Amino acid sequence: MSDLLIKRLIYSAATMAALGFGANSVSAEELRFTVWTGSEAHLKMLGEIADSFTATHPDVTVRYDTIPFGDYVQKITLQMAGGNPPDLGWLLENSAPAFVDAGALADVSETLKSTNGYDYGDFSQSAMGLWETDGAIYGIPFSTSPFLVYFNKSLYESAGLETPDARVKDGTWTWEQLKSDAKALRDASSGVWGFETVDGQGYGSRVWHTLVPIIRAYGGAAWDGDTCKLDSPETVKAVQLFHDMVYADGSTVPPGEQGDFFSGKAALTVTQISRVSKLSDATFDWGIAPLPAGTAGSGATVGQAAVVAFAEGKHKELAAEFLAHMTSKENVAKMAAFFPPARKSVLEADRFLTSNAAVTPEKMAFVAQGIKNGSVLPSHKRFPQIEAAARSNFDALWSKNADIAAIMKKLCGSIQPLL
Amino acid sequence: MSALRKGPSLSLKTREAVTGWLFVSPILTGFLIFFIGPLIAVFYYSTTEWNLLSQQSRFVGMANYVDALSRNETFWDVLINSLVFAAGLVPLNMALALGLALALSKSRPGAVFFRTVFFAPVITSAVAWAIIWTFLLQHESGAVNQGLSLFGIDGPNWLHEPDWAMVSVIVTRVLKTVGLNMILYIAALQSIPRDYAEAARLEGASGWEIFRRVTWPLLAPTTLVIMVITVVGSLKVFDHIYLMTGGGPQNGTMVLAFYIYEQGFKFFNTGYAAALAVVLFGLILMLTIAQMVLKASRK
Repeated sequence: MSDLLIKRLIYSAATMAALGFGANSVSAEELRFTVWTGSEAHLKMLGEIADSFTATHPDVTVRYDTIPFGDYVQKITLQMAGGNPPDLGWLLENSAPAFVDAGALADVSETLKSTNGYDYGDFSQSAMGLWETDGAIYGIPFSTSPFLVYFNKSLYESAGLETPDARVKDGTWTWEQLKSDAKALRDASSGVWGFETVDGQGYGSRVWHTLVPIIRAYGGAAWDGDTCKLDSPETVKAVQLFHDMVYADGSTVPPGEQGDFFSGKAALTVTQISRVSKLSDATFDWGIAPLPAGTAGSGATVGQAAVVAFAEGKHKELAAEFLAHMTSKENVAKMAAFFPPARKSVLEADRFLTSNAAVTPEKMAFVAQGIKNGSVLPSHKRFPQIEAAARSNFDALWSKNADIAAIMKKLCGSIQPLL
Repeated sequence: MSALRKGPSLSLKTREAVTGWLFVSPILTGFLIFFIGPLIAVFYYSTTEWNLLSQQSRFVGMANYVDALSRNETFWDVLINSLVFAAGLVPLNMALALGLALALSKSRPGAVFFRTVFFAPVITSAVAWAIIWTFLLQHESGAVNQGLSLFGIDGPNWLHEPDWAMVSVIVTRVLKTVGLNMILYIAALQSIPRDYAEAARLEGASGWEIFRRVTWPLLAPTTLVIMVITVVGSLKVFDHIYLMTGGGPQNGTMVLAFYIYEQGFKFFNTGYAAALAVVLFGLILMLTIAQMVLKASRK
C-alpha cells in the first residue's frame, strides 16, 4: 500500500470522525407541528412562540405545517399510519375522545408537572374535561371559543328594531326573539336573509353547531352518558323552532342557498370571535351578542381546540416541553388575541378584554361570559361513526313537510347503538 | 475478442428475450411496485380489522365481506347508487358524444370552435367544475332555476332533494366528460373511408341507413373502448360527489368510491374499506369482461 493511499485513508477516517463528532455535538432537532390555520397573523404569532422556545433550546427549531381544516384529521391520521406522525398538532374537541381512546396522543402530565411556574390548576376543570383521564393529560386547550350571535347593526337600525345587545341588558334576548327579528329583517328583494347558519355550512358536517345551542337552550341534549336525547320533547321543540325559521318563516338561508353575513347578505349569524377578522372591511355597522336564551336558559356552547403531542412522534420529550412552553401563562396570553383562553388567570385579567383591537371590551365580555357559562360541543369516542349514522337523518329534516318528531326518533335509533 | 467469440453464446431467441425483458424492466418494476404490490396489500388488509387511528389490526378472515354483503344495509344502497349513476351516465354520455361527433366531425364552419367548447370541460379542474355547478344549481338564486323561472317553471332544489340530486350529479358529470368521448368518436369517424358512404349513397341508401349499416358497425371497436372507459370511470367517480353533494342528501348520491373513502379515512375502518375496494375492483372487472365477451360474441 503506498504512502499516499495510507495518508488518504487516515485523512478520510479523521474527516468522518470529525463529521460524526460534529453531528453529535450539534444534534439539531426539528419539531413538526401541524395546524389548520393559514392566517399570516396566526403563523407570525406561532413563529414568535417557536423562537422563544429556541432561545432556551438553541438546537431545536419548530416547523409549522398548515393542513386545510377540512382535510386535517384525515391527513394527520394518514401521516401516523405512514410512520411519519407530526410531533405536535392542534386537535378539535370532537376528535379528542377517539384519539385518546386509540392511544394516539402522548401523556404530557409529567412534563407539565415538572415545568417551573406552569400552574396547571389555572386551567378550569370544565376546560380540561376532554383532555384529562385518570391523571393523564393528553392535550391543553389553546382555544375555548364560545359561539356568539353577530348582527348587522345597520339593518337593525333601519328596521327600527331593538338590537340583540340591548335586549341582553333588558333580559329579552331569546331564540323566539331572534326568530322574530330574522323574519322582520329578511328582504328578498335585495337578497338579504334574516339568519345564516354557522359559516353558511350548518346543514352538513356542521349541523351539530347549528342545532346544539338551540337544543340546549330548550333543555334538550344530544346524549346523556349512553342515552340518546335527540328525540326528547325539549329537543324536538328546539329543532322545530329552527325548522320553522327556515321553512315557515323563510327567514333563514336554507340548504342549497348562499347567504353571507360578512358581506351584508344576512342580518344575523352564529359564529366565533375569530371571524371578527372577516369584518375588517365591512360596509355596515355590526355588533356581537351572546347566544339567546330558550325556555331552559342560555344554551351557551363552546368550541374547543387543544395542543397535543402525538404518541408516536419522533421527539416525544421535546414535544411535551414545547407543549408546556406554548401553553404557559405568557404564551396563552399572547394567543388570547386570537383564541379565547382556557387559563382562568388570563381570562379574568382586564388585559383579555382589550386583547383584540377590533372588538370592544364590552363585546369581549360576552366572550368571557360564554366561556364561563358554556359547555363544549358534544363529543364521543365514536363520534365519526355517530356523525355518519346521524347524517342521513339530519338530511331528512331539510324539507318543508318534515315530521321533526319522527325524524329525531329515527335519528336516536341510529346512533343509540354507538353510544 | 476471439476468446469471447469462442465462449458459450446465447441463442438469438434467448438474446432477444433478454433484450426485450431489459427494455420492459423499468415499466415492469413500476407496475409491480405501484400496482401489483398495493393490490395484494388491499386484498390482505381486507381480511383484517384495522383501525387506521390506533394502528391496531387483527386477522378476521372474510368477516369484512360478510359484514358488507349480509349485515350492512347501507352497502347495498351505496352499490345500487353506484349502478344507477353508471346506468344514467354511460348511455347519456355515449349518445351525446356520438351526436356531437357526428355534428362536428366534418369541416363545417364553427366545427373547430364547438369541438373546443365541448372539450374544454375535460381539461377544466374537476374542483372548479363542481363548485361552479353547485352555485348554478342553487335553489332560488342559481342561474339554472332563474332561467327556468323565465318560462314559469319553479325549479327544484337540485342538490338537496333526494330525487333530483342524483340526476344533477349525473348530468353535470356528463357535461364534464363528454368532450373526451366526442373526440374519440370524431377520430373514429374520420378514419372511416368516405368511399363506403358514397357507395351506399349511390345504391340509394338514406342518411339513416348509411349510419345504421355502414358507420355504426365500423364504430364498434371505438364504441367498445368508450363504453369500457366510461363504465369504469363512472363506477370510480369520487371528486364530483365529494364536492357537490358529499354523498347526500340522505345518502342519495353516496356511491361506492366515496363510501370507501369515508369508511377508510373518516371513520378509520380501514380493513372494511379495503374489503369494499376489493368488491369495487371485482365489480369493475366483471363488467369489463362482460362487455368484452358480449362484443366478441357478436362478431
